[in-house]
Order: sequence, then C-alpha cells, then structure tokens
Amino acid sequence: MLNKIQSLWTDFESELQPLNKQADVLNLKAKYIGKKGLISDVMKGLRDASVEEKKAIGPKSNEVKKNIELAIQSKLKNLQILEMNEKLEKERIDFSVRDSVLDQGLVSGGIHPVHQIQRTIEDIFLSMGFEVLDGPHIENEHYNFEALNIPKTHPARDMQDTFWFKDKLHLLRTHTSTIQIRGMEEREPPFAFVGPGKVFRCERTDATHESCFHQLEGMMVGENINTGHLIYFMKTLLKEIFQKDMEVRLRPGYFPFVEPGFELDIRWKKPDPKDEDAKHSGWLELLPCGMVHPNVLKAGGVDPDKYSGFAFGLGLDRLVMVNYKIDDIRYLHKGDLRFNSQFSHF
Amino acid sequence: MLISLNWIKDFVDLPAENIHDIANTFTMKTAEVEEVKKVNAHLDIIKIAEITEIEKHPEADKLNLVSFNLGDSSARVVCGAPNVKVGLKVPYAAIGTTLPGGFTLEPKKIRGVLSEGMLCSETELGLGDGSSGLMELSADAPLGVSLKEYLKIHTDTLIDVDNKSLTHRPDLWGYYGIAREFSAIYDKPLKDKFSKSWQGNIEAKFSNDISPINLKVKENSSCLGFWGISIDNVKVEDSPQWIKDRLEAVGLRAINNIVDISNYVMLELGLPLHIYDRASISGKDVTVHLASDEEKFTTLDEIERSLLSTDTVICDKDKALVLAGVMGGANSGVSENTKNVFIEVANWKAEEVRKTSTRLGLRTDSSTRFEKSLDLNLCYRSLLRTIELILELCPDAKIIGKPIYDGIKINPERQVINTSKNYINSLLGLELSGEEIIKIFESLDFKVQGDEEFQVSVPTYRSTKDIQGAHDLAEEIGRIVGYDTIPIKSPKLAVNPVRLSPYKEMERKVQDFMSLHAKSLEVMNYPLIGKKLLEKASWNDLNEDLELVNALSVEQDRMRPSLVPGLLEMASINAKNFSDFSFFEWGRIYKDFKKEQNILGLCLYSKSNSRFIELLNTTEKFLNYLGLNFQIVTKEDSRKKSDLVNSDWKGLHPHEYMDIVVRGKTLGCAFSVHPIVLRDFKIKGKLSILQLNLTQFCEQTLQKIHKYQTISKFPYSTFDCTVLVPKNVAAGETLKISKKLKNKDLKSMKIVKVFSLNDTENAVTLRFSFGNSEKTLDSELLKNYENQCLEELSKAGFNLKS
Repeated sequence: MLNKIQSLWTDFESELQPLNKQADVLNLKAKYIGKKGLISDVMKGLRDASVEEKKAIGPKSNEVKKNIELAIQSKLKNLQILEMNEKLEKERIDFSVRDSVLDQGLVSGGIHPVHQIQRTIEDIFLSMGFEVLDGPHIENEHYNFEALNIPKTHPARDMQDTFWFKDKLHLLRTHTSTIQIRGMEEREPPFAFVGPGKVFRCERTDATHESCFHQLEGMMVGENINTGHLIYFMKTLLKEIFQKDMEVRLRPGYFPFVEPGFELDIRWKKPDPKDEDAKHSGWLELLPCGMVHPNVLKAGGVDPDKYSGFAFGLGLDRLVMVNYKIDDIRYLHKGDLRFNSQFSHF
Repeated sequence: MLISLNWIKDFVDLPAENIHDIANTFTMKTAEVEEVKKVNAHLDIIKIAEITEIEKHPEADKLNLVSFNLGDSSARVVCGAPNVKVGLKVPYAAIGTTLPGGFTLEPKKIRGVLSEGMLCSETELGLGDGSSGLMELSADAPLGVSLKEYLKIHTDTLIDVDNKSLTHRPDLWGYYGIAREFSAIYDKPLKDKFSKSWQGNIEAKFSNDISPINLKVKENSSCLGFWGISIDNVKVEDSPQWIKDRLEAVGLRAINNIVDISNYVMLELGLPLHIYDRASISGKDVTVHLASDEEKFTTLDEIERSLLSTDTVICDKDKALVLAGVMGGANSGVSENTKNVFIEVANWKAEEVRKTSTRLGLRTDSSTRFEKSLDLNLCYRSLLRTIELILELCPDAKIIGKPIYDGIKINPERQVINTSKNYINSLLGLELSGEEIIKIFESLDFKVQGDEEFQVSVPTYRSTKDIQGAHDLAEEIGRIVGYDTIPIKSPKLAVNPVRLSPYKEMERKVQDFMSLHAKSLEVMNYPLIGKKLLEKASWNDLNEDLELVNALSVEQDRMRPSLVPGLLEMASINAKNFSDFSFFEWGRIYKDFKKEQNILGLCLYSKSNSRFIELLNTTEKFLNYLGLNFQIVTKEDSRKKSDLVNSDWKGLHPHEYMDIVVRGKTLGCAFSVHPIVLRDFKIKGKLSILQLNLTQFCEQTLQKIHKYQTISKFPYSTFDCTVLVPKNVAAGETLKISKKLKNKDLKSMKIVKVFSLNDTENAVTLRFSFGNSEKTLDSELLKNYENQCLEELSKAGFNLKS
C-alpha cells in the first residue's frame, strides 16, 4: 500500500505539470484528494493491512495529501500570475514616448536667472538675521539724493545720471540705497536688512551696460558696528555664493553716503606666477561698501552719536553675467525664451 | 589722471620697489590705479648695431638675412627694409623687447629662417612717422649703446589713476598732493620745496612799480579770489627739453614756454591758471563779473559759445577775455609776439564752474579741477611758482610791482575737529595707540593736540569738501594703516527671528507656483515703455503723466501702464521659435506717483489650440494655493470689470474672458487675445493671458487655513443623471442649481462628462454626492433628494435625457 500511495504522488506530479488552466488544476485536486479521490480509494484497503503497515500508512498518506495540496496552491498562484501577465501584455504601453522626446513646443519652468541669484543672496542674509525689504521705483530727490548725503551741488549727481519725470519732482531711483532710508525710518536700532530691486540710470545701453538693472543693498546698524564686521559679512556672503573662501581686498572708494567708503574686490583670476607684473591683477570690483555716513543715519532718524552701521551694494546682473559668462546684458530683459529656458528648473 | 613718477620724485623719494607694487599700494591706500605705463622704456633696451653682411633669403625675394655687429656680440635677423646696406648703423630690438604698439618680440622663424629680433624703423620705435625704412643713425653712433643714452631720450613711469576715485580729493589733482600721499604711505619725508625762504626769495624780486592792471571782482560772480601780477619783457620761445618731456610724457602738447609754464604749474600744484598777453587787454581794468544772457564768446578752441547770465567771465573794458574757470578766449592768449603778460591765479565756486562746463559740454583740465572745490589759500603759492619759472626761463623778464588781489577775505585758519582714539578704533575695528594715530595724522599734514582725545586741525586744502567730521578723519587713519589689517569679526548681537516680508513671500509663491506648477518661465520686461508699442497693442492709456524728460529713446520714455503690451511683444519674439510656450512676469505697473501695483502676468501660447481653459485651471489652482476665496465669473455675470484691461480694448477675445473676483473685489482677469491684435504683433496662433493684481496681498501675509473635520463614519451615496443642454449654453450652467437645492446633505455636484448629441444639443452627465456625518441616508430620503435635483434641473430648463 505504501508503494501505491507513493506512485499516486508520482502520477499526480506528472499529471499536474502540463496543466495550464485553473479549472483543470482544481479537477486534478478533486481526482486525488477529493472525498472520492484516489487517495481515499487507496485508504479503503487500510482495513486489510497489518498493524505495522497501518502505523506507517497513516502518516504517509497525510504527507502526500499535504504535498498535493501545496503543489496545487502553488500551481494555481503561478497560473494566476500567468493570466495577469497575459492581460498586462495586452495593456502594454509604449513608454519610450515621454515628454522629453515629444515635440510639445517649449515645456519648461523656471525663475529668471537674476531672481535666482537674488533669492540665493536673500536667503544667505535671512539666515544671518537680515530682513529683506524693497521700496518704490519712482522716488523723489529726498530719498534718492538728499537723505543719502548727496546735496544738489554734489558732483555725484552727475556721476549717476538720473531719469526725471516731467514734473521735475519725481525720478527713477538710481540705486537701491533709497531702501536704506526707508528701512531706517521704520526701525529702531539694532537692525539689519537687505534690499534687492531694479534701479535705473540714464545711460546708453550696449552689451555690458543697461539703463535698468538690479542691485542688492544691505545695511546693519547698532552699537559699535565697525569695519571688521562689514568685512565679516561680505566674506561670509561671498563664501556662500561661490561655495568657497574668496580672496578679497578692501580699498578706499568714494561714495557720499558712506565714510569711510570702500571698494571690495574679489580675486577673480589667479595671476600668472611667472609674471611679476601680474601679481596685482585679476581683481574684480564687486561690492561698493562702507560705514554709514552720520548724515545718512540722521536722515533715517538714527542717532549717529549712539549708533554706527555699515552698508553695501551689490550688482546682481554683473554677478549673473560673470557666473554664466553671459555675453550681452540685454538678454536679461528681452524675454527671448531661448535665453530664459537655459536657466530653467526642469 | 596720469601721474609722472619722475615728477613725484621731485618731492618725495619712492621706495625701490617694483612699479606694480607701488601702484598697488596707492590703489589700496588712496585711489585706484587703472594702469601702469612706461614712457620710452623700450629705448633702454634697444641697441645700436652696424650691418656687416646681407644675404638674400633663400625662400623669399623681398627679404634679406641681415647680420650685424653690436660691439661685443653679433646677430642675424630676417629683414625686408629697402634701405639695408652694409656699414649702416641702425637700432636693434632683441627678442623679449616690447615695442610701443604693445607687441613683444618672440623667437620666430620667418619662411624657415630664425630671426633673432628686429631692426627697427622710427615708426616702430614710436619716434616719429619716418619712412618705412630702417632708422638710419649717424656713422659715429657707438655700437652696443642704448638708444635712450645715445639720443638722450626722456623715460618715465606713469600711473593712471581713475578720475572718479579722486572726485572727493581736490588736493590730489596736482603732483605735489600726490607726493604728500606717497610720503604718508611710505613714511618718507615730503621735500619742503615751497618753504618760507623759497617764498621770500621770490617776493624779494617784487618791485614798487604800480601795477599796469587794476583788478575788480564783482561779488555776485563765481569768483572766490583772484591774484594777478604783470611781468614785462618775456621772450616767447620753445620750452627747454625738460619741460617738454614732462608735459609730453603725461599727454600734454608743448606749445611755447609761457603756455607750457601755466600747464606745468597746474599739473604740479593742482590749481589751473591763465596767462594773458597784456597787449590784448584794452584799458587798465580787468573785471570779473557775470556774463549777459546770449552773450557770445569764442573760446581758445575757436568755437563760439553762447553764455548765460549765470556764467562768469573775466573782461577788459571792451570784451570778455576768459570764461572763468573753464577756458580762455581766442583773443587773449600768449603768442610768439607776446612781450608783456598778466598772470591770473584765481579760484572759483565749484558748482558754478561745473554748471557752466556741463551746460556747454566743455570739460577742460581747468574745469575738472575747479569743480572739485579747490583751496583759495593755494593760489598764492601757484602764483609764486609761475613767477619763479618765468624768471628761470626768461632771465630778462621783469616783475612789475607786487601781486594784486581781489575777492573774499582769505582765511588761512584751519578747521578743528574733535575726535578720539576710541572713536577711531571703534569705527574701524582696530586697536591703534594714540601715538600711531597722531603719527599718521601728522604725515598727512594734520596737526593734532591731545594724546587720546584729539583736537585735529585740518589743512585748508582738505577742508573745502573732503574732511568735515570725525568719520572723515577715521577714514584717513584706516586707509593709511591699511584696511587689510582690520581683524574680521562677527558682531555680538541679539538673535531674533526674521521672516520674509509679505511682499517677498508673495513674490516667492508666484515664482514657485508659476515655474513648477504652471510650467512657465519667468521673464522681465523693462518698466519703461514707449508710445509706439502701446499704440501697436492698441492700448488706449498712454500714461502721459508718467513721461520722462530725459528718456534715452522714444521706445522707453514713460512708465508702463500695464504688463500686457510688453507681454505681447515677448510672445511675438517667441512665437517665431516655439510652437507652444508659457511665461510669466511678476512686475510693477505705474499709474501715478503714489502707488506702484504688483501684477502677475501669465501668458500661454499655442500655435494650434486655445489654452484658455488651461489658463483658468492654473488661475484657480494658484488662488487656492494662496489660500484665497475667489470666484471666476463670466463677462455677463461680472459686476465690476477688471481695471487691468480696459473692457473696450480691441485685444479682448469676444468670448474667452473671465473676471477674477477675490473677497468681493475684481483683482484681475483672464482672457485670450483677439486675432486682430495678434496680427499686429505677427503672432500666428492662440495666446491667452492672465492679469492679476496682487498688491494688497503684498502688505499682509496671507495665511492659508486648513480646517479639519472628523471623517464621516457613514458612507456617501452618489446619484448620476444625464440632462440635455442646448449647445449655446455652457455645461457649467447646470451646476448653478446646486445652490438652489439648499440641501445640507449635498456634498458635491460635478460634471462627469459632456458629449455632443446632435447639432443643437449636448448631453451632460452630472454626479451628485449625498452624505451626513450623523447617519446613513436611507433609500427613501435619497430618492427624495434625487427627485429634488431633477425638478430643479428641469426648472432651469435642463431635462433628463430619455
């Protein structure tokens, strides 16, 4: 009998193997382990078996039944997968045709390169406790000149050629320094802020000059703010922008609204070590800055005897141009998407 | 300004450093040096050679191989000059020489033969425009000697300082002032050339004769003070070589000894002066007064200028002689026939000189200096220096009388500014001792009292403008010590939280949403616009109140009243290159002087299909993103049209238009552009634009509020039905019944599908969703609700599709 049971298993295995329909598998299951199945048939002869045989047959038949059950389950699962795969085969999609290969015109999104760099710098300052402010583009003489220690007779009014409106009272701001005054008026020291925005100069345009461009002004006012602090923030800013320590130098520069006033240069090109004369070259004039002139503090309602501060200005367009080696500044306002799409996020 | 270091060395010894180090130090401590120039430096290296042999170049007919002797060595070059001959003495430039054109000789093969440098022509050496042939030197020229030595040519080193960085330093417009800076920078004494004894020696030559000129300065003129003196019997001729060399080295043309002296003294002491031929002065009186309006005056450059009554002129009894502070007249200058002269050393009000020279477009060495606010006290020294040089160059000349003066009272008193060691250190972030500070002040000719609390008396030539307060004094200390010595430190400040301002927050939301969600690129238009573009866009509002007086061009002569014309222009550029694109601008429009409006403009373009629906979808999602409650309403339903686009603008599409209403105010609109306007911009295709005024949300941060409700335990039931809608009625109209139902259990009503039935009707499948958080809705109630819906639909004219 043991042999019979064993050969049933071998028969079952060879019968199961070629089946490819779930129904046939279920039928096969009934044929072998159903109530009237082949196993039950064999077991009917158990009565005639010896005691010893009985002891061995019981467990054997259970084992075969269990194995058949497992084999059926596994076969069914495989068939189900095959069936699903067949269906999936029919649903097959062609994923070689994606947006990137489809001609859908220009599908691209992104922030203007000047605003990208502006945001980077805003965030650097924000992280150091500076607010971010702006002010009107149309200003009056007070905010653009007088409050910034540039009286009517000052040659600086020639230096910055100003767009004037017909009423002769209003003008387009020539620098973001106007934000300094407005910022001071609304605050009590200590405070710190930056002010990015558009500025306007009555200047002929060419590949490197624009009549409308972008500056970022910065100011910190408090007790005992000194030149060392100014350099600290400028170096930190540059390190964050360029992601490395930048070699800088501070030299005298003249701006009516700061005293002492500086030009901060960064080492842009490594000078040729073989060329003795080039030792001092490779500097790029980047940041006019200085200690806020007492008259400017006064104009902003800050007591210059109690507080001091620093201020700086940064040309954003220049930074973008240098960073991407852009050959013509006029692309920035042209709106030619062949330009803008080169700075897209996707 | 070009500065001659040879000249500077008259007053101070410069250290034996590389010239580029000196220039850099000056940049770091005083003013920016833009360039270092060497005058005739190459002539030091160029040697005299004698041609010894000439062979034909094997490869080229017109070239020769020329061998020559340099005394102690010899060499061979390839040379094409026509005048080569054996025995000729010529200048030779070896490899490595930089010639005046900036060209450096390098080892080079010419048609296969190595040329060891070059034999030069006069032109190549910068010694004149001789023929193209080699410069022929005389037969006795010594071999191997440098051309500089042989021809006794002046060499010099110049530093070119950026004029803008000298704007605030009237004292640096003369070499003596520059020398004082070097003396302070390098801690070397300034040679006291203009001492009391020097002054006394010249004054000893004054006589008791009566001045042939009477001087009168009118009070309302721009004159601060006027010194004059007459000298007779000058001999006008060429200047001696040393004066010519110095002037020419810095780019001034030598004219004659008298004119050259006036330029020389101006360069040296920084104060322009004028020398008159006394024969050209009619009468005895020289008067300084205001010109009359429309007065004509021909300046030295022989251009007739039209003057105003705010310009000051120097006149004799008949005519104007000089345009004060700017330029002399064609009628009074010194010529070769001049015998007797009158010297004017005067000072003028800076802003008046600037006004006159700016208006006439006449910027001269003189006006450039006077407009920096020069010191009246310096006039007398310049006068003496001029007299000294005239007497040196014209030994027979005779001073007539003493200098005469008219003008404001000369005040040699020094201004005193109080400051302290602590103030200076705390502003600069330095820890200098009192002695160190005092030493720097004194090296710059300031006088100091006190050890730590200072009374600093300022040289008069520094206090005309530059040095006004303690902060200016701190700058003097800082720059001479060197800003690179300042320790870099973070300030110790209280730490406070900072947030983006509402304006910035909005800017970032716009940029992020529009670029990432709306898949559009940010562009920038100029805030300035011209009439032509406005008219091209058929824009009625020409914004004439916001016109500029000094626009650069008619294309940009006023502030833009709207973003739309600029966006159309940009769409026009891009429609040439792309079949589809979208871009946005976050910019300002300007309607008056009071308030600038912050506008979002979004443009969607497709060559084929209208993207108006996409525009509306984006708009709705954007307003949701901002957390604003809004309605987007059709033209018909709109109570107030958006003021961003005039409702009779030709560019509006007849149907594709919707107003955007937020919190009861119309803040903008979305529309497609009418083909008639697209045609004017040569745009083929469909363009839809959103205009949204976000100004009011730039002043107060918007808070997006999320409200949580417990998720209902009871299931919702949906009910679908399909109704007939005439083709000329928007399918969305069906949704209006949801309000009329006034059913709290109606959770949503949406369109499932719209399909066309025939030419006149659409079938619209609607889905209603009902639910209640307290209970399951029983079938009877639901049936009831369904009937209500159908009834309401039918009332609105939408019957169930059978």
